[in-house]
Amino acid sequence: MKGDRVTGISHRQDQDEFRGATGSLFRIALAPTIWAFHFLFCYAGAAVWCAKFGTPGGIAFLRLSIAGLTVLALLAIAWQGWRSYRQWAPHDHDDHVEGSHRFLGHAALLLSVISFVGVVYVAMPALFIGSCL
Amino acid sequence: MSICRRIRALHPVALPLLLGGCDGPQSALRPGGQDAAQLYLLFVVMLVGAVVLWLALNGLFFYFTRVNQQQFSLRHGNRIIIGAGVILPTVVVGSLLAWGLSIMPSQRAPGDGLVIRVTGEEWWWRVEYWPPGADAPIVSANEIRFPAGSRTELRLTARTYIHSLWIPSLGGKMDMIPGRETVLTLHPDLEGFYRGQCAEFCGASHAMMAFESVVMAPDDFDAWLAHEAAPASRPQTPMQVRGQDIFRDEGCGACHAIRGTEFTGSVGPDLTHLASRHSLAAGIMEVERDDLMRWIAHTRDIKPQVAMPPYDWLDAEELAALAAYLESLE
Repeated sequence: MKGDRVTGISHRQDQDEFRGATGSLFRIALAPTIWAFHFLFCYAGAAVWCAKFGTPGGIAFLRLSIAGLTVLALLAIAWQGWRSYRQWAPHDHDDHVEGSHRFLGHAALLLSVISFVGVVYVAMPALFIGSCL
Repeated sequence: MSICRRIRALHPVALPLLLGGCDGPQSALRPGGQDAAQLYLLFVVMLVGAVVLWLALNGLFFYFTRVNQQQFSLRHGNRIIIGAGVILPTVVVGSLLAWGLSIMPSQRAPGDGLVIRVTGEEWWWRVEYWPPGADAPIVSANEIRFPAGSRTELRLTARTYIHSLWIPSLGGKMDMIPGRETVLTLHPDLEGFYRGQCAEFCGASHAMMAFESVVMAPDDFDAWLAHEAAPASRPQTPMQVRGQDIFRDEGCGACHAIRGTEFTGSVGPDLTHLASRHSLAAGIMEVERDDLMRWIAHTRDIKPQVAMPPYDWLDAEELAALAAYLESLE
């Protein structure tokens, strides 16, 4: 089996690590992507609803939809945050050096936290504002 | 006592120069109504909060670099970063957001009856008063009057360009968009004069698109509105009669309406009670003889790209007669 003479890492190990890192890279983007789509649906939804139906019909349905969407987004981000946390700080780790695998988990966790706060902030107007005006 | 007056009292010479925007008829820091008072409070809390945060941050920076230079453990450092860098700003910004959002519905609260429709034109304001139960509006221009102590609904739109109506001493601003109607409600409390201004860049004469706003006691407002609804007074002196003839001969009535006469144009501002307004040409000149003559003869020098052509072929005597007629429209 060929491998790197300096590090002693085989091609197979290298490929496995690369595959794992690719998955982590995609997972890093997951929470901000949920935040972005939540933002898009809330604002576009409110704009379309108010343009088509306006205030006379009430905006209870719109507010409930935003609430539902927000709960779903927060659950998905929390789940992603938990997975990232496990990736960053597994039970059996005892070293202080972050390898690339753990580093990607750490970055994904921090992005999950900021995405969680972002989703809450985006949803707050629906909590206070009860009309299209 | 407002925050500006307190600061001015501390230093009577230098600070007034720095605090020029604090006072006067167009200052958000001199609230004349409930909505502006809310925004003023929001501003003061944000300002004080920002100062406290700035002092705390720099105080801690000074403390840990000059006074107590001990090394922290990783765990302790992480706690500070998470507490002061993540949790504190999240809570502070979230609280401010919640407070700001809770104010917004009251700034859109339904009016108490009077509706004023304002249309942003190039570059002036078409103003229509719709008292409760009215079938037709009382048309005016370039001045908005409010009864004190009640909430007035402003329904806003624009003809060609996007404008924004803002009376800083009475409340927040609201965009005026062609083809759409936006709503702003204001609850002025203090009687007096306030200045409004277009707050959205709208072309060549944007900076000269202002207006006077007058908050009156409810009884005075009712009397004023009844007068505003009445037709124009007839010219009395020979000079005023000559001015009316010039107004007719020059075709002014094709663009301007003067109710009670044959002049019914609707392109430009209604002039029925021009002389009872506090400004000319949308807040930039006085309604007095010299300014009227200068405006009529040099419209586009004074206000670039305005629709009204300059009547510079009229001689001084004709301009004076025309101005005398317009001055009689009280």
